[in-house]
Amino acid sequence: MVLMLSVERLVKRRGSREILTDVTFRAAPGRVTGLLGPNGAGKSSTLRILLGLDRADAGTALVDDQPYRRLRQPLRTVGSMLEGSGAHRSRTARNHLTWMARSNGIPIRRVAEVLDQVGLGAAGGTRVGRFSLGMCQRLGLAAALLGEPRALVLDEPVNGLDPEGIRWIRVLLRGHADAGGTVLLSSHLMREVDEIADDLVVIAHGRVVAAGPIREVTAGYPTLEDAFFALTGPTAGGR
Amino acid sequence: MTFFDAVAAEIRKTATLPATMVALAVTVLGPVAITLINAIGVRAALRSGRSELTAYTSPVDAVFSAVPIGTVGAVVLGVVAVSGEYTANSARIGGGRQITTTLTAIPNRLGVLAAKAVTVALLVAVAALVVIPASLALASGIVGADAPPAPEGVLSRAVGAGIYWLLTALIALAVTVFTRNGIVPIIVLVVNSSLVSVSVLLSHLTPLARFLPDLAGMSMFAGDLLAFDDALAPVTGGLVMATWTAGLLALAGAVFLRRDA
Repeated sequence: MVLMLSVERLVKRRGSREILTDVTFRAAPGRVTGLLGPNGAGKSSTLRILLGLDRADAGTALVDDQPYRRLRQPLRTVGSMLEGSGAHRSRTARNHLTWMARSNGIPIRRVAEVLDQVGLGAAGGTRVGRFSLGMCQRLGLAAALLGEPRALVLDEPVNGLDPEGIRWIRVLLRGHADAGGTVLLSSHLMREVDEIADDLVVIAHGRVVAAGPIREVTAGYPTLEDAFFALTGPTAGGR
Repeated sequence: MTFFDAVAAEIRKTATLPATMVALAVTVLGPVAITLINAIGVRAALRSGRSELTAYTSPVDAVFSAVPIGTVGAVVLGVVAVSGEYTANSARIGGGRQITTTLTAIPNRLGVLAAKAVTVALLVAVAALVVIPASLALASGIVGADAPPAPEGVLSRAVGAGIYWLLTALIALAVTVFTRNGIVPIIVLVVNSSLVSVSVLLSHLTPLARFLPDLAGMSMFAGDLLAFDDALAPVTGGLVMATWTAGLLALAGAVFLRRDA
């Protein structure tokens, strides 16, 4: 039940601009790892490369010891959520999850189970275009949980969730990590990361400026917020 | 993950998209409706003894001149199978596109593209199997005893029309991989296959135009309906169009494989 996500010396360029420079970190099993950084720091790009969606110009991103693209039935190993629900707007939540399940040999009964789990049990027949932002986030989470994966990779998972939803996801992710699973989530919201994460990877301008257990990263600063601005601010020089 | 799973997922995904249902309806109902109109015109001309009023007097040609409207449906089927992946959700609901889900579920990109091609081909084939025999029956039922003896090769022309739809749909699919947006390919391909054929216009300038995919393919079913002289033989035309299709799909695969999602 152990699964390590590791990113090593990732470099990504868009045009002449380098958006990721030597990004290296690990997300370990049994822990919630928070990828924290301001908007545009390179969090989503890193996760997209890890999930095989975008190609790195250099470096490696591995799930245990192989790239995501080599996984068979990847939804049963890594559950992921990127921007929004990841569903076509004219589709119902249920048929979005059903085609996903079919693609990875996941039993169809899981569709109803995850819809109930994320609180969308009554909205399965509603078109995604009519959902609220919070419902879309919940559908994205349902999709991530569908294959009962050992690792969860979530880009800004608390966006659009109400306080009750944020609390719910915190409990869910904690439970997943405590059961030996691996959780990697990105956020620009310090308070959420502070409450959810065991390990922190702080990223700014495409570089990792600090990484380690959250208490180590914030040592010497009164709060995570102080640490964050000191590490990612214009005068930040790493540490 | 097996290719079978990828195909099963794509069929479910494509078939549950409302745009697919609209396209299938156009593919099936369009040719039937046009056949109906054509056949009534043919019957009227034959009964009044003024067969020079129509371009043809055979109920069979009433069907094959209705093929272009089915092509429109096939184009839309091929386009939406790909463009649906890239439709962006509004920022109000968090944005995002289905392609990220598709490629995290099935990271084998050539597998995804092949599964889409198989799905579109199946849908078009099923539609053709229903609509072409139905149209032929309808036309001969309407024109009835007034019809001249049936021309030869109806079966091979019927098969040719189905293959023409199928290849057109696959070309539309491949082109949409390049554009990642359905609007341009739909407009260009629908106009070309129903209103003004660029290839037919070009055929007035150069005989090489007969090697363009649509003109080459039309020789599979059009018979004497094709309004230019040096058309390819049906089998040759079909092979030329199939070669175009295979080439475009291969190019689409190469692009899809390299591009960031």
